[in-house]
Amino acid sequence: MGLQEQYRKEAAELLSSGEVKLVIGYGEGTTADRRRPVFVRSAELVSRLVLDASGVANLSAYLVPEGLLSDGKKVAVFLKPDGVRSINILAAEAQLDPGQVVILGFDIEGGQPTPLPGRKASDYAPLIESLKGSGLSPELQAEADRLEQMGAAERFEYWKEQFSKCIKCYACRQVCPMCYCRRCIVDVNQPQWINTSSHTLGNFEWNIIRAFHLAGRCVACGGCDRSCPVNIPLRLINHRMAKEALDTFGHYAGESADQKPVLATFRQDDPETFIL
Amino acid sequence: MSEPFEPKIVAFVCTYCTYAGADLAGTSRMKYAPNVRIVRLPCTGRISPMFILKALQKGADGVLVSGCHPGDCHFAQGNYHARRRWTVFRALLAFTGIPEERVKFSWVSAAEGAKFTELINGITDSIRALGPFEQYQELQKVIETQSTY
Ligand code: SF4
Ligand code: SF4
Repeated sequence: MGLQEQYRKEAAELLSSGEVKLVIGYGEGTTADRRRPVFVRSAELVSRLVLDASGVANLSAYLVPEGLLSDGKKVAVFLKPDGVRSINILAAEAQLDPGQVVILGFDIEGGQPTPLPGRKASDYAPLIESLKGSGLSPELQAEADRLEQMGAAERFEYWKEQFSKCIKCYACRQVCPMCYCRRCIVDVNQPQWINTSSHTLGNFEWNIIRAFHLAGRCVACGGCDRSCPVNIPLRLINHRMAKEALDTFGHYAGESADQKPVLATFRQDDPETFIL
Repeated sequence: MSEPFEPKIVAFVCTYCTYAGADLAGTSRMKYAPNVRIVRLPCTGRISPMFILKALQKGADGVLVSGCHPGDCHFAQGNYHARRRWTVFRALLAFTGIPEERVKFSWVSAAEGAKFTELINGITDSIRALGPFEQYQELQKVIETQSTY
């Protein structure tokens, strides 16, 4: 029995026993290799669930914004390790109770989905520990190294060109599990911090602040990068922030549900070499 | 002949230490460069990175953020939180090509009027030497001259 069949069966059992009210998984998309999220509420409909190597989206993004968990009932969701890390972050930030999330865990290896046995976020602690500090793909790392070697002015030109393409569609925000604010800073207009029109300066400000608000919170699921219609390499900038959190504060986002958010805590002996 | 370049510097300071330090410099009749515009806030913990971006958006050539020394925060922890935030924000500015020489951070206590004076003079000199932050200001000019937005 393939993993898809196994998980359809498990989803049907969870639903018919009443343990969960809903299963969030992947379904057929508009093309053969695209998946769209499906929300299955009855055991008869589990055949809509598809699980293959195209199931890359981090489905934890659907748990918080619509108040899905506000009735205290459980929801099952297909998650890869990055998704489990987001559950931990959302729990640490008091956005959800991890006890309400049943994880149908998997990863993708060699173009195939492989099962992960943990059903609770806390079961993943050893796996997450082993992933700590895992880096960018070789191509992206080469690009990151190239950027680090540039002078400031050249780097500015690089990002100016990238950000000038931004159309302020906010897909990067909507897709991100950690962007759950009811009112995003970019939509605040009294005072208006960020230029809302999509000119390069406003785009610069938006992208800087988006990256900053995800510093030490991004789990590198790649959702923003994939959803950006103009292919801005958002992963590079997210990764730079994650690296800072790890190198300077030893913080790997989403290690556990009681991990303190990196920018909401401090140590008296935090480094401060740059302060005059 | 065009006027020599005088940088605009915005300083975001906390009211309990650095602002009091600036006050001390004033009451002690110490002179410091008039290039700095001081914005007083309750605590460094209240200084959002948005402020720094806003200052640059409005044409600042340099920004200073300053507060109480570690352990001296009026609210006990504000400056520790701020320090972490600045560490990360600094890395982000550097990665996006905003030169670190233009955004400075310091601790100045209420007793350090002399340090405040030296700091402002030093920063003003170094930013004067760097010249205006044209790369950034250019982006604002584009908005002002293009009505299509
Ligand atoms: S910032 Fe992008 S890569 Fe990071 S968690 Fe959000 S969607 Fe995923
Ligand atoms: S997804 Fe891309 S184009 Fe859309 S707002 Fe984000 S960076 Fe800009």
